[in-house]
Amino acid sequence: MSGENQGGAIVPYSEEAKKPVVYPLRHGLKPPISRLGISWSRGNSLRVTVFRQPSEDSENEVGGKAVEVRLDGRDGEISDAQWRRIAYGSVSPFALLQSRKNSFASLSKISSTTSPFDAEWWEYVLEYSKDISSLLGNQTSTTQSLIEDPKEVLKDPEPSNLKAAWELMESFYADKLSQAWLPERLVDWLADYDSLFSSTQETVHSKLVDFQKDLVSLQVIEDEPKYWEVMSSALAVGWLDIVVKLLRLHGSYQLDQLGNRETENGLVEAVAVLISKMPRMRPELEAGKLGECFKAKPDFMKAWEKWRAQIAKLECSTFWIQCAHRQTQEGLRNMLQIMLGNTNNLCTLTCHWMELYIAHFLYIRPFTVGLESMYGLAQKCIQLKPMAASHRLMGLLIGILGENIEVVLAECSKGFGPWMVTHAIEVLTAGSHQADTLLHEERDNLGGISMEELHRLVYAQVLSSHPLTWQIAPIYLTSCIKQGMGLLEMLLYKQPVDHNQLLLKNLEICRLYELDSVSSNIMKIAGMYNWKHGKKGSGVYWLQQARDEARLNRIAQQMFDSVGRSISDENFRQWEGLIQLLGSEPKTAGGLEFLHNYRDFKKSLLQIRDGKTTDAARQAVESLISLMKNPCTPQRFWLPLLHDSLKLLNWEERPLLNVLQTNLLLNKLQELSIARLRPDFIEADLPPHALSSVRLALATNLGRTTLEEQ
Amino acid sequence: MDKAVATLDKGTTCSSWNYCGQRLATGSTDGTLSIFDSPDPSSSSFTCNLKTKVHAGAILKVVWVPPEFGDAVACICSDGSLLLWEEIVEDAQPLQWKLCKSFESTSTQVLDVQFGVSSTSLKLVAAYSDGHVKVYELLDPLILKNWQLQAEFQNAIDSVTMFRKASCISASISWNPQKGENQGSSFVLGFNSDTPQLNSSKVWEFDEAHNRWLPVAELALPEDRSDEVYAVAWALNIGRPYEVIAVATQKGIAIWHVGANPELDGRLSVEKVALLSGHGGEVWQMEWDMSGTTLATTGSDGMVRLWQSNLNGVWDEQAAFQPTA
Repeated sequence: MSGENQGGAIVPYSEEAKKPVVYPLRHGLKPPISRLGISWSRGNSLRVTVFRQPSEDSENEVGGKAVEVRLDGRDGEISDAQWRRIAYGSVSPFALLQSRKNSFASLSKISSTTSPFDAEWWEYVLEYSKDISSLLGNQTSTTQSLIEDPKEVLKDPEPSNLKAAWELMESFYADKLSQAWLPERLVDWLADYDSLFSSTQETVHSKLVDFQKDLVSLQVIEDEPKYWEVMSSALAVGWLDIVVKLLRLHGSYQLDQLGNRETENGLVEAVAVLISKMPRMRPELEAGKLGECFKAKPDFMKAWEKWRAQIAKLECSTFWIQCAHRQTQEGLRNMLQIMLGNTNNLCTLTCHWMELYIAHFLYIRPFTVGLESMYGLAQKCIQLKPMAASHRLMGLLIGILGENIEVVLAECSKGFGPWMVTHAIEVLTAGSHQADTLLHEERDNLGGISMEELHRLVYAQVLSSHPLTWQIAPIYLTSCIKQGMGLLEMLLYKQPVDHNQLLLKNLEICRLYELDSVSSNIMKIAGMYNWKHGKKGSGVYWLQQARDEARLNRIAQQMFDSVGRSISDENFRQWEGLIQLLGSEPKTAGGLEFLHNYRDFKKSLLQIRDGKTTDAARQAVESLISLMKNPCTPQRFWLPLLHDSLKLLNWEERPLLNVLQTNLLLNKLQELSIARLRPDFIEADLPPHALSSVRLALATNLGRTTLEEQ
Repeated sequence: MDKAVATLDKGTTCSSWNYCGQRLATGSTDGTLSIFDSPDPSSSSFTCNLKTKVHAGAILKVVWVPPEFGDAVACICSDGSLLLWEEIVEDAQPLQWKLCKSFESTSTQVLDVQFGVSSTSLKLVAAYSDGHVKVYELLDPLILKNWQLQAEFQNAIDSVTMFRKASCISASISWNPQKGENQGSSFVLGFNSDTPQLNSSKVWEFDEAHNRWLPVAELALPEDRSDEVYAVAWALNIGRPYEVIAVATQKGIAIWHVGANPELDGRLSVEKVALLSGHGGEVWQMEWDMSGTTLATTGSDGMVRLWQSNLNGVWDEQAAFQPTA
C-alpha cells in the first residue's frame, strides 16, 4: 500500500482511488424507470427521486419513490443510538482540548520558546484520549478469569473495532510513557482484541472459546491433545494467567492422584511457576496478570537470562524420564520450547501474523525497541503467516508501524469514518511532528484549508444530516478557522422555521456565534412564514426582530389600505389589534409609527360619528395635522387622509382649522398635484372628484377661518 | 444506507425539495401539483397532504421560491407557460394553494427557471426556447403577484447580433448561491440548442451602476463553444478564494474555477480543472452539497454518481449508486 495512492483519498466512500464503488440504491419499484432526480438534504444525506415510466394497464400503481441515501461512512457495528451517545460524549473532551490549545497558543505568543508540544501538553492529550476511549466501551479484558467457576477461562465481552483502533493510536501517539514498552502494550492489545479477528479466521481466542465448550465434558483432561495445543497457543501469545489456570486443571493435582503422580505433578507445577515468573519489560501489570515486571532494561535483561537458564535447566532435567504420562511429558516440553523461542513451534501454534508477531516479542526478540525494527519484524511475520482476509485494524497498525501518517489517516477515514479521523487527529498531531505539519498545512487544492479543517468539516456535515445531532455540529465548525463559519451559516439557513422550539434554538446558536445577518435572515423567513400562514401578529413580530424595513413598510401600506377602506369596517378592529401589537418603537419602522397616529385619527373620527362632537373633532384635527406634518407619512396617503377629513374641513358650527393649518394642508395638496405628474406615482383608490372636493373644502375653510380671525 | 421517504403518484414527472428538505413538491403529467410534508422535523417520512390541479397539460419542472418570500413554487408546464403557486391564508379563509402569477407566452416556451435572492429583492431568470433570457424582479416582497421585466437578452457574449431563429431543446440556469448583504447578483446559463453561439455556458452579472446584465465569463474552451450544454451547477462557497462551477456537455462534466475578482477587461479569470466522464450520454441533473465539495450527478445511464477532488486537486468519481428494485 503506497502512501501516494491512499493518502490522497479524503472521503470515506471509496475503497480504491480509481474504481468507484457501485452501491445498490433500493427503491422497490417495478421497471421501467424513466428518470432520476437528486437533491442534497441537510448534511451529507442525498435524496434521490426515482420516476417510473407510467404503464397503461394498471390504475393504482406507484409513480415513483423518493429515497434517502446516507453517506456518513459508518458500518453496522455500532447502533444509531450508541453512535449518537459517542457523538454527544466526545463533544466536551474535544471542546476542552481546543480551549486548552488556544490558551497554550496565546501563551506561546508571549514567550516564544514554549511550543504546544512541550511540557505538559501531551498530558492533556492523554486525558482527552482516555475520555474518548471511555466512550467507546468499558475497559474489559478478555483473558481475565473468573473466580467463581474454575473451569471458565474466558469472559465474553464484545470489544469494538472502534475502541481497538483508538487504543492503538493512544499507545503510539498519545501516551508518551508507554513508548518504552510498546511491545508489551501490543501484547495487552491483542489479548483484548484478538476476538475481533475471529469472524474472518481462526484465532487463538477462537480456539480457546471452542475448547471452553468441551471443557465441562472432559473427564481426563490431560489425555486430550487439544488441551495441550490450546495451552501452548495461549502461552505463545502471552496469556499467562489462562495457561496457568488451565495447567492447574491437570489431573495430577487431584488429591487421590497426588501419591502416584508425584513427579508428573512436580513437572507441571514447575512449568506453571516458570510461566508465572516470566520477566516482563513493563512498569506494572494489571491485577491477576502474571509475570514479573522490570522498568529498567539492564534489570530486565539480567532477569531474562536467569529465567531462560532455569527453563533450559528444566528441559535437560532427568525427571522427564520418570514422567509416565506421555501426553503430559510432550505437552510440557513443547511449552518449554515456546518459552525458549522455538520459531517453528511459535509459527505452528499461532493463527495469524499479529499473534506470531506478539510471540516474537515475548520469546524471540524481547529487547526490540524502536518503530523501525518493529516494522521490520511485522513485515517478516506477515510473510510467514498472512491473514486470511485483510482487516481494517491491521491496515491501521501497519500504517502506524510504518510511520506513514498519510496511510494512518486514510485507514482511519476508510475503516472507521469521519468521527474517528476528526477525533484521532488531535492524538496524531500531538504524537508526531510529521502529522502536525501534514495536517496543518494549508492547501490550495482544498480551497486554502488544512486537512485537519477538511476532516472537521466532513464530520460536521455528518452530524448535520441527522435532526438529533445537528446541534453539536457548531462546536466542530467553530474550531475551523477558514470555512467553518461559512458552513455553519449554511447549516443554520437550512433549518426549518415553522417549529417554534427549533427556531429559538437556531437563533440561540446565531446569538452565541454572533451571526447577526444569518439570524436576521432566519427571522425574516419565520416572519414571512407566519405572515403568509395567517399568523399576522407573529409575522410582524419576527419581521420587526429582523429589522426588515422593506417588508414592514409594505405591511403598513397594506394595513393602511385596509383600515382606510372604511372606518366602520370590521377589518378595522382586526387591524387595530395588530397595530397595538406593533408598539411604538420608533426605530423599527417609520411606517408603523405613522399607522399608530393614523389609528388615533381614525378613533377620533369614529367618535365624531358616534355623537361626541366638537372635542373629538378638535382631537381629530390635531391628529390630522400631526400626521400631515410627520415626514414618515407616505405621500400616497395624503389624499386619502384629507378625503377622510372632509367632514372636519366642512365643520358646520365653526371652522376647526386655523389659517396656518389650512395653509399647511393646501401646500401639501399642491405638492401632491405636482407629484401626480410623475410616472411612478401610485393613485389612491378614491372617487375621481376626491382631490377637487378636498381643494374646495380647504378653500372654503380658509375663507371662513380668515374671517373669524379678523 | 438507503431508505424510502416518500411514495409518488402515477404519472409524476418532476420533484423538488424546499430549502430545508422538509417539503417535497411534485408535478405530474395531468397537471397536478402535490405537496408532501412530514409530521415533525425529526421524521423522515413524507406523506402527500395536498393535491391541486394547476394546469390542463403536464408539469415539466417544479422549483421552490426562496423561503424569504413564503412557501411557493414555480411550475413550468408543457405548453411553455410558467405558473407561480403559493400556500397562503387569506382573510378568514383556510390555508390553501393559490395561483399568484402566470407568465404566459404565445410563441416560445419556458425551458428553465431559477430564483436569486439579493439583499433587497427577488429575481427570477427564465430561459426560453427561442434562446432568450428574461430577468424579472419582484416589486412587492409580500406579494408574489407583481413582477417587472428587468432585462431580456440572449445567451451570447456578442450582444449586438440577434439570433432570430434559435430553437432550444433545454436550458440550465444556476444562480451564485452566495448569501449576504454585499453579494451582487450573478448566474450561469447554458443552452442545448441549434445555435452554436447560444450554447456555451456564460456567467452573467448584474451591473448595478448601469442597470444591465453583462456576460463576465464563458465556461468553454474555444473548440468546445458550440457544444450543447445539458446542465450547469454553481457550487456553494464557504470560504474558497475562487468559485467552482460544473458544466455538463456531451463531452463530459467539466469543473471550472472562476476567479472572484474581474480582470482589467471586466472578465473573470476561468480555468477548466477537470473533465469527468461517467454518464456516457446526457446528464440530467447536477447538485453540489452544502460544503460545495461533492458534486452529485445523474444522467441517461440511470446512475447517480458522486465526484470529489482529492488532496492533489485531482477530480475523481468517489461512489456510484445503481437503482435496483
